[in-house]
Amino acid sequence: MNYIKVKNLAFHYEDEPVLENISFEVDPGDFVMLTGENGAAKTTLLRNILGLLKPSKGSVQLSSKNRMGEKLVVGYVSQQVASFNAGFPSTVLELVQSGRFQRGKWFKRLDKEDKEHVRRSLESVGMWEMRHKKIGELSGGQKQRISIARVFSTDPDLFILDEPTIGMDVHSRNEFYKLLKHNSTEHDKGILMVTHDHEEIRHYANKHIELIRKEDSPWRCFSMDSCKELSKLHF
Amino acid sequence: MEMFFYGFMQRAFQASFLISLIAPILGLFLVLRRQSLMADTLSHVSLAGVALGLLIGINPTWTNILVVIIIAILLEFLRQIYRTYSEISIAILMSVGMAVALVLMEIGAGRTTLSVTQFLFGSIVTINKEQIWMLLGLTIIIGLLYLIYQKPMYVLTFDEETAFTVGLPIKMMSILFNVLTGVTIAVIMPIVGALLVSAIIILPAAISLRLSKSFYGVILNGMVIALVGMLSGLVASYELGTPPGASITIILMLIFAVITLAKYMLHYLKFDRLFNKSQG
Repeated sequence: MNYIKVKNLAFHYEDEPVLENISFEVDPGDFVMLTGENGAAKTTLLRNILGLLKPSKGSVQLSSKNRMGEKLVVGYVSQQVASFNAGFPSTVLELVQSGRFQRGKWFKRLDKEDKEHVRRSLESVGMWEMRHKKIGELSGGQKQRISIARVFSTDPDLFILDEPTIGMDVHSRNEFYKLLKHNSTEHDKGILMVTHDHEEIRHYANKHIELIRKEDSPWRCFSMDSCKELSKLHF
Repeated sequence: MEMFFYGFMQRAFQASFLISLIAPILGLFLVLRRQSLMADTLSHVSLAGVALGLLIGINPTWTNILVVIIIAILLEFLRQIYRTYSEISIAILMSVGMAVALVLMEIGAGRTTLSVTQFLFGSIVTINKEQIWMLLGLTIIIGLLYLIYQKPMYVLTFDEETAFTVGLPIKMMSILFNVLTGVTIAVIMPIVGALLVSAIIILPAAISLRLSKSFYGVILNGMVIALVGMLSGLVASYELGTPPGASITIILMLIFAVITLAKYMLHYLKFDRLFNKSQG
């Protein structure tokens, strides 16, 4: 089963082609890294997958069910998340707890298990001690960490992450990648992550998609040659 | 003390209490969704609703509610069209609303004893039992909707894209929120006046944002601030014979100034103590 199935996707901003001939799949247990130079429309591709933009051609299928037959839960960390509204009146704990709402808790109180998830998620990014701080008082790197903690607290079936490690040091980045790897291999989560750290992530991801500029196009248009399997090369 | 024995003052206090409960909830979401001026737009448009009611001889509150609901829905569509410059929708509807109001007022001049000025500046003398019941109904609806939808609204307000990706019906929620704001404005406008109704809704939440760390703290503190501002504003309005909306707004601004000053002083004292400690 595919969590994400992209087939011959093309996306145009008005008449200008930005993406063409994009086809790949993300299955449960896949850790896919998506790379490309600056302005390679990586975020645009993610937004097409999430339904925030409509493909001009081709199709995107986001599975409605997970491998257990339950509703698929998607955890998304956007690129701009670290620059979120500094004045938003919320503590770190409130924000990370909001990640649990997706787990059938929109109209119910959070129970012990939810609170345990939230605690573990905050501890995994080293932010438990700061849980009562107002989010506007955090540094850029700390905001990034709590955005990640929020997604981990959701415990999604599919992670869609847009450069989630901006502002994090090397050690924290590697811990984060290990945690993602653990989620994909041990819990069959699907992961699609936009990144510039492809040398670091090669050791954790099992597929690599690179968006490459089309030489034959007069526009700044990107495509992909293939979806490379990495696990056989590096493990 | 004699003011508490007058029926109209009792109704004014009842209305103030109910407004204090709903204003901070709507105000907080308006501020966080960067729609503070939407309340102002709806209040200008609601003047057109009042003028229409007076012209055709229907209770102006009802025509007002109808007009404001239509405009609240239209505002959301215009916000979608002008995503990058969402304030354009506010500018368009505010001016059109005011223009229509002026035209209708001119056409209907002399046809009624009720004056539009009364709706511009508000009047506590005119609050009737029907308005109090309407306000009570609205408070119950907003309170219930808030209790049921507080989590989806938190996510929607924090980040609309995240809300979309988790499957929330963001368009429907935004329209419903706009409509509720519009109806609230239409109901409380005769009391506090069209020109200052948005201040009454926005200021308690804006002041509370400076005091509270948590989302729910902002709403609770906002209710206390609104209650203090509304009740003392009413007393001032009665004692001094000033318009209620203006009196309440000035008192809320004084609260804002005192809190801001106190925060600066506390910050300064804290810094000073830390500095002296490091020197010692």
